[in-house]
Parts: sequence; structure tokens; C-alpha cells
Amino acid sequence: MAVCIAIIGKENAPKYVACTEKDQELDFHYKVHSSLDIIEEKLSATSLTKGTDLREQCLGLLYATEEHKIYGYVTNTKIKIVIVIDANHTGLRDNEIRAMFRKLHGAYADAVCNPFYIPGDPITSKKFCETVHGLLVKS
Amino acid sequence: MSHPDYEQTYHHHSTLLILVKYLGDELSTKSFNKIFDRINRINYVKFTDGGGVPRNIWARYIKDYPVGNNDWGDFQTHRRLLGLITVGKCKTQVDLNELCRKHESLKVRYNSTLYDTRCVIFGVNDGESTPSYTPPSNFKSRALYFASDGDESAGLEDQISEYISSLFWVLESKRHERSREKIDKVSLLLAPFEKKDFVGLDMESRSNKKRCVGRMTKHLGDLCLQAGLPVDALNHYQAAAETLRSINDLLWLGSACEGLSAASMCVRFPNMHKSQTVQRNTSLQETNKTKTPTSKASSSGSEILEPSSLQLPSLPHNVLSNEEICKTYRESIIHYSKYQHAGVIEVEVCFKAARVAVELNMALQAASFLQNIIFITLTLPEDEKIKKLMTLSDLYGKIGFQRKASFYQRLAATKYVSARNPQTNWDQCYNLMLQSLSGHRLSLDPSDYPAGGNNGWGRLQKQVLQDVVVAAKRVGHSSLATRHMTLLLQVMWSELSPQERHESAQQLQVIAAQCEGSPIPLILDSGLVIPPANLIHIPTAESFVVHKLRSQFQPLKLDKIKEDYGPFLFTPFKFGSLERNTTSKDKLNYLWVAEEECEVKIELTNPLQFELEVSNMRLLTTGVVFETLPLTVTLPPEVQKYVVTLTGTPKEVGELEITGYSTHTLGVKSNCRLKCLPQISHSQFTIEVVPALPYLEATLNIDSTKDQNGSTISLYAGESAECQLVLENFNKGEVELIEISSDCDPSMLSYDLSNLQSQLPMKEGAKITIPLTVFASGNFVNSYPTDTASVKSSLISGTNSFPSLTSLKPGQYDTLTTPTPSFRSGPSSLNSLTSQLTQLKLDHASKGLVECRLKVKYSGKPGIDSGYCRIATVVLNVDVSNSILISNWDVMPAETSSQFYMVLDVMNMTDQEIEVKYTASKSILIEEGEPCRVPIPVDRCPLSKIGKFFQSEDSIKEVVDLNVTCSDHIASLVEVQWEMGERKGKASLKGITLSSHMLDIVRMSPINWEIWVNDLEPNNSTPHIVSIGECIQIRIIAHNSLSRPLTDLSLSVQFFQDYRNGTCNYNLDSRLATSGPSHIHLPVVEELGSAVMECCTVFFNPGQYKMSVQCSSQGRHTWKQMPPVEFDVQDVA
Amino acid sequence: MVADEILLELLHAELVNYVCSNEPKEKEPSGQLNKHCNLSTLEYFGFSTGYKLIERFTKDWSRFKDELDTIKFICTDFWTSIYKKPIDNLRTNHQGVYVLQDRAFRFMAKISNGTQHLDAAPLYIAFTSGLLRGALANLGINSIVTAEVQSMPACKFHIQVPRNQMP
Repeated sequence: MAVCIAIIGKENAPKYVACTEKDQELDFHYKVHSSLDIIEEKLSATSLTKGTDLREQCLGLLYATEEHKIYGYVTNTKIKIVIVIDANHTGLRDNEIRAMFRKLHGAYADAVCNPFYIPGDPITSKKFCETVHGLLVKS
Repeated sequence: MSHPDYEQTYHHHSTLLILVKYLGDELSTKSFNKIFDRINRINYVKFTDGGGVPRNIWARYIKDYPVGNNDWGDFQTHRRLLGLITVGKCKTQVDLNELCRKHESLKVRYNSTLYDTRCVIFGVNDGESTPSYTPPSNFKSRALYFASDGDESAGLEDQISEYISSLFWVLESKRHERSREKIDKVSLLLAPFEKKDFVGLDMESRSNKKRCVGRMTKHLGDLCLQAGLPVDALNHYQAAAETLRSINDLLWLGSACEGLSAASMCVRFPNMHKSQTVQRNTSLQETNKTKTPTSKASSSGSEILEPSSLQLPSLPHNVLSNEEICKTYRESIIHYSKYQHAGVIEVEVCFKAARVAVELNMALQAASFLQNIIFITLTLPEDEKIKKLMTLSDLYGKIGFQRKASFYQRLAATKYVSARNPQTNWDQCYNLMLQSLSGHRLSLDPSDYPAGGNNGWGRLQKQVLQDVVVAAKRVGHSSLATRHMTLLLQVMWSELSPQERHESAQQLQVIAAQCEGSPIPLILDSGLVIPPANLIHIPTAESFVVHKLRSQFQPLKLDKIKEDYGPFLFTPFKFGSLERNTTSKDKLNYLWVAEEECEVKIELTNPLQFELEVSNMRLLTTGVVFETLPLTVTLPPEVQKYVVTLTGTPKEVGELEITGYSTHTLGVKSNCRLKCLPQISHSQFTIEVVPALPYLEATLNIDSTKDQNGSTISLYAGESAECQLVLENFNKGEVELIEISSDCDPSMLSYDLSNLQSQLPMKEGAKITIPLTVFASGNFVNSYPTDTASVKSSLISGTNSFPSLTSLKPGQYDTLTTPTPSFRSGPSSLNSLTSQLTQLKLDHASKGLVECRLKVKYSGKPGIDSGYCRIATVVLNVDVSNSILISNWDVMPAETSSQFYMVLDVMNMTDQEIEVKYTASKSILIEEGEPCRVPIPVDRCPLSKIGKFFQSEDSIKEVVDLNVTCSDHIASLVEVQWEMGERKGKASLKGITLSSHMLDIVRMSPINWEIWVNDLEPNNSTPHIVSIGECIQIRIIAHNSLSRPLTDLSLSVQFFQDYRNGTCNYNLDSRLATSGPSHIHLPVVEELGSAVMECCTVFFNPGQYKMSVQCSSQGRHTWKQMPPVEFDVQDVA
Repeated sequence: MVADEILLELLHAELVNYVCSNEPKEKEPSGQLNKHCNLSTLEYFGFSTGYKLIERFTKDWSRFKDELDTIKFICTDFWTSIYKKPIDNLRTNHQGVYVLQDRAFRFMAKISNGTQHLDAAPLYIAFTSGLLRGALANLGINSIVTAEVQSMPACKFHIQVPRNQMP
């Protein structure tokens, strides 16, 4: 289960960030922020032509620190989803991560289709929040 | 090994390590560095060995080398210190001895690995100019003597070159020695920490044999690589890797893998390092965000070629591909990571691998190598940690990972000031913090931020900026701290919560107390320019309105240049397109005047929870010189839209651009430009300033004896009063032109301007008094009958409505041609008068107050030259109350044909007795509210005025015009004067309307009568004395005095007896007989022609007779001969 | 025809009517559809629909290789799911201009063929133009979409991608 989930817009500004530990929020912000470098690199044209595996929306593990593993996912519409997993949580398999991303993507698509949502704004949808918090570790 | 060398690259595997050491005190550090640079340039020597193979030998010079690192020389030979060059300067033998001693002691320290040494000594033993000493006997090294450390020591480069080759030959011989060793005799090579592990092990075991061979093969690979044989090295490493893998000697396998990668790189890109020195020196690399190979090359100059172009045409089959190189590096990292003591090696290989990945343009690989470094736990002092972090940041920057680079920069910055760091360095911390801004999409220039809110990571940006503020404060740059805090409040405003805004504002206030912020760029020692930041949100401007001058100050164009509007009153062309084109978008369509105080109103909101004092608020302008007055305002906590007015005076003529306003609050001076303010849609306002104009104040001086109230003057209708217009010049300029106009009836207000011109120009403070005459012109004629009954009566009595006139049929008309029809209706209309009276009073009273607007247009230098003027307006209210009213009127023929009587019903509408003087000699007193009928003899309207209306009287217009002309004629002659105590006035009959029959009486008859009785000359109207039976010849000649023919004319004669009691007897058939026609009809009477009618009459009875002669034209007009001809018929005696 | 297949057409037709009737400008006297109808309103409806719709459509789609790949997706899968048929013909000059031809555009299928109602055609293609533009915009391709109708119900959509901004 994730400790932090972030939705990042086309222009790499955060649209939604949620994490389990409020006091570590800034730390998570830094982690997610710097993961954007890797996401961008993976999306860049040179990488895209090199490997077919990168055409998948899920970018897999972006990088790992001692405490956390950071996974990335980019939709076709260049919305980035980043999940931070506790590094000690070793039992998590790759397809479980994928399932989480897909769930988040679905929730995001729903939130965007809300007629009151203006694309590009921070997400405030209640339903979306519920989905995200359902994926976060309870602590 | 104590700490890693973060600058290591794969290329260092192929270099000879030489320590360059600085000895003694004689040589300055600067000179040493110069010498070092010169030596450092000689890092490459090319040989061709005995076998004809070209050998590229590289040297790596270092200034310091821990002995412990030397211990790893067996593990990786490039870590061995092979050479030593000492540099010193001396003057005396003692100095020389000391230098030599130090050299020898250094030699001892690195003795195990040194091949050869050199001692560079300046100042002695070089030619005659320098003293010559002998080195001490225990000095067994080779000394290089130079006279001075300057450029003259030209031989240095050659000597160094020679030295490298000497090292090479030693290395080459060692290599040969090693390669010739018997495979089963080789000794076991050990890494420093392994020594104890192998104590007591069976060296003869098969696996250990293999271990020895594997390690030695790897060692040979190292030597080959250093000796410029990378292909051989590749083979050795490959063989070693296979051997070591088979016996699971992971540490050395890692080393072999690393060697394999390094050798592959050397084979693939043999010329890379030549350019590398150049590349490292280019600072562009760090700032250049792009990471494509092409842009890299272009940014660092032409020396750097793309890796692909540097490849040799034919590569050995076992050389690794780019991907394999990375893979092999990864493998070596994995192997190293198993050994805690190999941490330094591991860190270094990570950096090396990352650099290789950077070279190969494999950003993700590089990132993962760098990421790996974080996992390696090394206990390092803080300064080493900083070095590590900075190298990480640098490499991340090279692959375009600006966020990561900034992250590590910040981390390094915090290490500089961490509690564990014995030498905290806030300067460094601050500098790094500044550098890390870009990676967080932050800039020091507020104009770099997008207008519509921020699209970065607000949480982080706030923190980063806050940290910069703290760092700046700790450095002691309060001005910088203020600046950064201001920036935080300017650009992060939308990200800050109200609480944070409040706190930040308070923090700013504290910081700014030490050093005030002002909107000028700050320049750091490093040359970095920090642009000004402004508190555009504290207070927040909600609106910005440039005001017009107050109306009396507004300039106007003196002469409206006749604009050609074309044949159309309105054309969209004129109003739509053209005018819009000529005026620029933000130009205001009104004018300001030089030297005149102007205003701008700003609505301010205080977003903070405390009282905000904003001082020195001024307008920011460009264009003409503008003197702006500072304003200090205190905004209550959280006040919304607090209006402040900024004033200023333009000093020049031309265009003034208002670009914003400046504030001084919380200790920070800010220039708030409109273009930066989100709530203001204009980026600037442009307003035209016209030359200065004088300023006149106009006041009314009303005679105080009359009822007056301010500028109101109360008069009875017809009364007149005098008052004065006082003009006073309040400005410096002289008034050169004054024009006065009023918008009310000129009859009501007249002014005497005869003395005006002589008093111009008007100096400052001068006064001009202009006499005004106010006449309370009122409508004295009741032309608005109030009910239908009176309409009917007035139809008969005279105020005939024109449409009904034309609709009258000739038959009906005839019945009305009886002589006194209107007289009969007179009383009837008077009867209804009383009932109308009350309503009349109301009617006329309601229109009592008349507003007269007097406009004084004036101008003076210099504005007059540009055609501008001002207008001063005074309002004079005239309260007109009713005096007398002509409620009804009629006309009556007078005794002579040149006159008629105007009969008026005059009403006294006042509440006092009034004396009405209706002719020069006659007057009458009328009680309040009472009517009175007065006759006034009036000359008839002469044909010269109305002759033209006899042309064709078909059109209503002519009838109206005729009516107006006659009415004016009456009005001009009749003036009813009234007196009421001391007050007096006159009433005009203007507006009186006349019916068709009245008109015939009012105007002069166009027919001149000539009546001959018994061929006697037509004379006065004394009765003709005739006798009964006498045949009286009557000849009537009607002269047409019009300048046109009269048509359809009938002449008739009628006799009657006037009983003088109001009745006339027309039935005289038995009393007289007439021969000849009494009635003739003439189709036309030419202009100035005449009609003649003759008849004979015989009277039968005596008595008084009268004969009326009349002439009618077209059955419409009837003209009578007045007075009737009288006959006194006498009995024949 | 199953009812749910015609729902979109009906909704679209009502949308056109609604936008026309809400037009504040005076209407043409005849009962004809107003030509001066605010097409940009319809276009904007299309844009936001396309923008949001594409988020859903591409959910389980692998990343597009390039611009052409994206346009191909629009022509086939995207078009089919909305209009029940793929685009009939796609042409490009490889310079950022794409011409998508639908020979039987669904929103005009019910209008009699030929040229007699050509003046009403802009009303029926504005929404779809916006739909294309919105879908592409969310996929990172800012474009200008114009449409051309020569004879109903065939319709050509021109997508122009300015070349200075690389996809």
C-alpha cells in the first residue's frame, strides 16, 4: 500500500497530493518532485523510440531511496501519477502496483468528466479523494 | 582509503598518477598554481613502441594523495602513485638543502610505488645569473634547476614530457615482467582489507591458484591500460573476469568488470579525454539544460565531437557496446556492494559509471548510477559529504535532471550549516540555495513568473524561498533577506494561506527593520544581480481610476475646428473605425492640464490581520515630468476596497503615462506596476497634458434689496433687475480672452460687455465686474385654454385654431361675416373666465423658476497658444411670479381705417392691488385677482409687413406666418405697464393669436376706397346732405394697393339706418331705391388697378342713413370702407 | 435501429437547436435555422467534451508513438466509438496537416443529400470540430480544426498542427 499518491498535471505542477504522514508531507513533495526528472526523461522522444516497453502508461519503478520506492505512471494525456511505497513493504508485486495505478487513472478520468471540474485545476473531488485514501496505508 | 575521489572518471584507469607537491615558503601559492597548470598541460605523450604500435600515454597530476590510497594500488594500478614532482624555490644553500630533504622524505612516504621523481627548483644552478649550490649528498633524485619561475623556464615542459616517458618505460618494463611471470608462480594480489582474510589459507588450493591467476590477469589488464594498450587490457580483463567469476572472487570480479568497461570506453573513444579537459572547464555545461549530444557539442565548442564520430573504424570483437558498458558497470557495483570496506571504491565506480552514461547520453542509466550512491553508507566528514552532494548535483544537472540537481544542491547547502559541521558556512549555504532555485521553477526576477497564478510546486517553492530568506539573514545580508522575503510575498501570494501571509508579512517587517527594502537591483559579490521585488499584494489594489479634472478645471478646445461630417449626420465610418484608430488603446479621452493638480483613485484592500501603514504612496509615471505628492494611509485590518486618492501635478506638456504606484509598507519600498497587478486590466494609462491655463472663478453679485437667495432672484413677470457677474483670476497666468454666453432667452438676460476688452489681460487676483440685466419675461397671454367650453368660446372669440379655419365652408363663413361677431362672443368668454382663473394661476405659477446658465469661456498663456480654454459656469435662477395676465382679447375696428382697438381682459394675478398703464395717458387700478377690460388703440399692421401674405392663402403655413407677423406687430406696439408699489414692469402681448377675422381688422386693408357722391371729391366723413327724391350719384372706386392682382372680387353697397342703440335696420326697401348694381362681381383686379361701381340712389324719407361699402375677395376676406358714408336726408323744404 | 444508437444524434440535434434559440441576436424572419448562430459556443461544447472524453478513451491504451499515431487512433477507435464508423480516409502532408474524410457523417445522415441545406451544415459540424480539437489538445497536440462540406453527408475535417511547437 502506498504512503503517498500524487497527481501531476501536464505542466508538471501538482494537482493533488495525499500522503499518510502529514508531518512528512514536504518530504514527500520533494520526492515526488524530483521523480519528475525521471518521468520526463522516460517520456522524452529519445527514450520512446528506444524501447517498446516505455510505451506502456505505467513507467514502473522510478527510483528508490532507503525508505521509499517511487513508482510512476503517465497517461496518454500527460497526466502523471506517482505512488510512493514504503521500501520495507517488500511483498508488493508489480501487478499490484499496476492495479493501483489503473484504479487511480479511472478515478481521475471520472473526476475530469465532472462537468464542474475545469481541466488543469487542482482536484477537489470528494469521490477521488476517497479512492486515493483507500489506497493509502492507514496509520 | 579514507574518502572517495568524486572526480574520478573511467579515463583515470589509463593514467599515470603523479603527485605535484609544493615545497618551502619561497614560492608563492600563486606561482605554484601557475607552475602546476603548466605541468598539467603536459599530460599526454605519444610513443611508438618496438612493435610499431602507437602508444598514448596519459598522466594525471594531483596535488595531494593520502598514503592509504596508495595501498589500493595492487587492486587497481591507477591508484598507485608512480611519480613525484616537487616544486620549490630557494636562494641559499640552506634552502636548497631543506628542499632536498623534504623531497627525499616525500619519496620515502610513497616509496612502495614510486618509479621516478623530479625536483623542480627555481632560483639556483641555472646559468650565471643564479647562484650555484650543490645539493646534499643524500639527495638521490633528479633536480631540474630553473633561474626563475616565470615564463623563462622554458625547458620545463620538455623536462616533464621526458619525465613521463621515463615513467612509461619503467611501467612498460614492469608490465613485461609481469606478463612473463610463470602462470603457476604468480603471487596473490590483495586489497588492503583482505590481508587478514587470507592468513593461514591454503595457497596451493585449486581455487586459490585460480584466484592468483585471475587477479594477476586483471592486474595485467590494469598495466596494459596504463601503458596505452587498451585492446590488450580488454583481453586481460575479459580473461580475468571469466576466471574470477568461476571462483566467485566477487571483489576482484567487480574490479575486472570495471576495468572491462573502462578499457572498452578507451578503445571506443580514444580521443575523448583530449577534449575532456576542455569540457570540464566549460561552465556552460551546468547551465545548459539540454542533454542531446548535438547541443552539448555546440555549447562547449568545436573540440568536442560526438562520441560516434570519434570511434575507430575497426573495433576489436570483444569491445563492449554502450549498453554492455553500463551493464558491466552495474555488475561491478553489485559485486563491490557486497564488501563493506569497498565502499569508497563503490562510490567511485558509481560516479565513473554515471559519467560514462552521461558521455554515452544515457540519462536514465546515469540517474540510476547516481541514485545508487545514496545507498552506500560511508562515514564521511561534512565537507566530504558536501563534495559528494555537489558532484551528484553537477552530474544530475548534466543529464538534465534539474529537480534532482537542485535537491542535492539544497542538501549540500544544509550540510554547510548543519550542527555536525565544525565550520558552518552560511555564505556557501546561501549561494547554493540561490543556485537551487531554478530547479524548483523559481527565479529571483518577479517578471519570470506567469501572470495567472503559479503552476509549480507551491509547497516546495514556499519552503525553498523561505530557506533562502533564512540563509540570507544568517549571512548577514539583511537587504537580501528583505528582498527575498518580498519576492516570496509577491510571487507565492496565491500559494500562501491567510495565516502564512500574515506570518510572512510580520517576518518581513522584522527583517526589513534591519535593512529597508527598496526597488533597486542588488548586486552580489559574485556578480549576480537580484532584481527588485515588490509588495504588489500588500496592500492589494482592487481598482485604479484616473480621474478627470473637476469640471471647472477641464480644458476645452477653444475653437472647435469645423469637422467635416460629410452629408450624413451619422456615419458609422466616422464614429466607428476612424476615431478608434486615432486614439491608442489605453489613452484616456480626457485631458490634464500642466501645473494643475490631478487625481487618481485607488481602492486598496488590506489582506492582513493587522493595521497596515502605507506611507509615501506616489504615482509612478513616465513621459512628461510629473510631480507626485506622497500620501500616507493607514489601512485597518482586513479592510476591503479602501479608497485613497493620489495626487500630482504635471509639470510639462505632452503625454503622461501612469504606470503604477509606489508604496512603502512593512519597511519595504515597492513599485507596483499596473501590468503586474492582476486585478487591473490596463497595463498603463496614457493621458494628454495640455499647457497650463489660468483659472477664473465666476460669482454672481445680486442686488441685495431684491428678494434673493444665493443665486436666485425673485421677480414678477415683466419686472427687471440688475446684478453683477464678478470674475476673479486665481491662477498665475494672465487671462487674455473672455467670452460670455448664456443658454437662456437673450430677452431675459442681457449683459454689457463694452468694458470687458479694455480690462484684459487680467492679472493674477484681478477682478472684472460685468453688469447683468435680468428681465423676468413671462408669458402674459393665456394661450392655453383649459377646458373644452372655453375652446369653443375662444374659437369664436379669436383664438381660432387653424385647422378648423380651413375646414369652414363658404356658406358657414358668410354667416360669420356679420360685422360684430366677435364682440358678441366677448361676454360669453368673459363669463367662463372666472372659472378658468384658478386653474390659470396654477398653470402659470408652475413655470416660475427659470435657470439661466452663464458660461464664461476664458483662456490665457500658455494654453491659449495651443487652443485650449476653460469654462466657468454660474447659474442664475430667476424665480418669476405672475404679475398680470391677458386672459382674453379681441380686436375692434377703430374710428379710422388706419387704427383698430385691441381690447384686452387684464387679470391681476398678484395678491396686491396693481396699477395697469395701458396707454401713455391711461391707467387703471385693478384689485388683486380681479380682471379688467381695457381698449388700446393700435395702428393697423401695414401692408409692407404683410403684403406678401395675400398671394395665395391656401396654405396653413401662410396663415400661421400671417398670424405671427400680425401678432408680432401688435406685440411691438402694445406694451402694458404695471406698477405695484415700488415695483414695476411691463407685459408684452407676445404670443397672442388672432383669428382670421381679427386679422382682417388688424391689418391694413389692401383696398383703398374712393367714394364719389354726386361727383363731389371724396372728402371727410361729414354727412352728405341730400334731400328726398334727389338722385344721388354714387361712384365707388376700390383701388387695389397690393402689388398683385386680387381675384374673385365682389363689391357691394348696402344702406342702413343706425338707431344708435346697437341695432341697425337694413330693411330699407321702402325708404330708398337704388338704380344700378348694388353688387358687382369682378373676376380680377389687376395690381394697382381699381374696380369701379356706380349707382344712383333716391331716398324717400328723410332721416339719417348710412352706406357701408365692402369688398370681399374669394369669399374669404372682407374689407369695409370705414367709416360708413353718412347721408343726412332732409325733407325738401 | 436500436434506440440508444440514435440518442447521441438526437441529443446533438437538440444541442444545436438550443444554442440557436439562445442566440440573443435577432433571428431571421423565416423559420429557417439561424445562420448567425454562435458556432463558437457549439465548438466549445465539443472541445470540452473531447477533452474530457479522451481521458477515458485512452485509459487502457499504450502511449502513442508520434503525432500520426495519435491521429490514427482518432480516426479509428475514437471515431468508431462515437460515430459507429471509422473515418473513411486520412491524408497528411507530414507537415502537420491532416485531412479526415467521413463520407457519411453521422450528424448529417438524416439531412437530405445534396446541396440544398448546405447553409445549415456549419451548425452540424461545429461540435465535432471542437470534439477533435479538444481530444487532440488533451493528448498534447494543439491544433486548428476546420471542416468542409461540399455535399452532404460527406464531410472533411482539416487538422492543422502548427509546426513550431513540436508534439
